[in-house]
Amino acid sequence: MTEALRLYIDRVIEFMPRMLESLGETGIMLFFAMLAAILAGIPVGTLLYLTSEGQPTENRPLNRIINAFVNIIRSFPFLLLVVAMQPFIRQVYGRATGDPIAASFPMVVIAIALYARFVEQSLNEIPRGILETAQSMGATTWQLVWKFLYVEARSSLVIGFATATISFVSYSTIMGVVGGGGIGDFAIRYGYQRYETDIMYTAIVLIIILVEIFQWLGLKLAKKLDKR
Amino acid sequence: MIEFNQVDKMFDEKDKPLIALSDITLSIHKGETFGVVGESGAGKSTLLRLINALEKPTNGSVSVNGIDVSNLSKKKLRQAQKQIGMIFQQFNLLNNKTVGENVHLPLELHDYPAALTTDEVLRFVGLEDKKDSYPSQLSGGQKQRVGIARALITRPDILLCDEPTSALDQNTTEEIVEVLKKVHREFKMTIVVVTHELPVIKELCERAAIMEQGEIRKVITVKRSTEQANVKPYHERAIEVLTDD
Ligand SMILES: Nc1ncnc2c1ncn2[C@@H]1O[C@H](COP(=O)(O)OP(=O)(O)OP(=O)(O)O)[C@@H](O)[C@H]1O
Ligand SMILES: [Mg+2]
Repeated sequence: MTEALRLYIDRVIEFMPRMLESLGETGIMLFFAMLAAILAGIPVGTLLYLTSEGQPTENRPLNRIINAFVNIIRSFPFLLLVVAMQPFIRQVYGRATGDPIAASFPMVVIAIALYARFVEQSLNEIPRGILETAQSMGATTWQLVWKFLYVEARSSLVIGFATATISFVSYSTIMGVVGGGGIGDFAIRYGYQRYETDIMYTAIVLIIILVEIFQWLGLKLAKKLDKR
Repeated sequence: MIEFNQVDKMFDEKDKPLIALSDITLSIHKGETFGVVGESGAGKSTLLRLINALEKPTNGSVSVNGIDVSNLSKKKLRQAQKQIGMIFQQFNLLNNKTVGENVHLPLELHDYPAALTTDEVLRFVGLEDKKDSYPSQLSGGQKQRVGIARALITRPDILLCDEPTSALDQNTTEEIVEVLKKVHREFKMTIVVVTHELPVIKELCERAAIMEQGEIRKVITVKRSTEQANVKPYHERAIEVLTDD
């Protein structure tokens, strides 16, 4: 038993540099996805909410367009989205395969669509009375968003962000097909293709730990922000 | 002065338009306390919401202090809205802001040269010790006091109240009525109260409109009860009511 354990530890140490490198690649992809979710997902989700039916800022055509974008991206099988985006990525980035930054492009697109939907749902949970109150105070749309909506939705926005990030981890494991690397790709390569089962399970456990951390952080922050 | 001039209000429902208000002509004088009573669905809230242009009349016009609020540019509309305070049945406080932050909120939206301070209005409604509490830590009556403080901080000319006591028990209702009376006494603002609770109107208002199915049936002068408002403890009142035959 101790012999087996020692052997295992030796192998983990042997594979450690490759594993850390893979984690770094996952980190790059997650970073871009999370950044896009915040910088573009939040505004797009807010726009979805503001332009929807019954709002003072209702705008049917714009709402339809954004809705269509979000739905198409989200219903696209992710692997096909990755493949379909190859020519575009090559155009703007110079290369489409073989590095985690190139692999981040599809991650960014799915991140925006996914989180935008979550943001819209969070905003929909705000009681109608809060909007009316803002309106009765003569708030501009900008003030409504920043001083009322985001304040009341903030813990729900954080939980949505944690959930979205966990999905990003899952999406990132596919990026091996275009040479994007990452810890998921590592697990597939060593476990599936080379039968290094122990190493594969180690990588999977790492992924699970990563997910648990995001979950825990999200819930903890959300709880802290929630004064309801 | 608030004037309704032959106002109709329709809502587009799927099959046919719903007539919420029809042919409303009414004037509410500066500085008076005016009640609007009627059953559920009579159109009371809609009438009130026309005053601060949360709704637009389908026909006719509504003017506030000589300005026709029914067709203003967005910017002018916000200017008009910022001069009118409003309190709500469900209080509509922001749960993630403290009492003090809630009360101060209107001042973050616009400049009010004559504004009061957060401490002043909290003292006025008797909640100076709750400044750092969150709404979830307050009772219904306290939440409505915060709502009133938030409306007062800008020193509006007009205070609109939509069922201000309907979510509260009887004793708390009387407390809130007392606060509103004090608002009227000290700030001389025009107060319009919409409610289905007749005692509230009786206690608070000088005149009242009685509404039915979107129309004003009658505008009357309220005869105030002369006896002092008797705010008895809840348990005493319960005993009184339950043992009375
Ligand atoms: N935004 C809206 N869309 C469609 N119909 C509406 C809308 N607002 C009000 N109505 C309808 O207009 C009528 C009058 O509503 P209003 O809210 O003014 O009544 P109310 O007297 O305030 O009733 P309550 O005591 O229940 O609050 C009702 O039939 C209501 O269903
Ligand atoms: Mg109503």
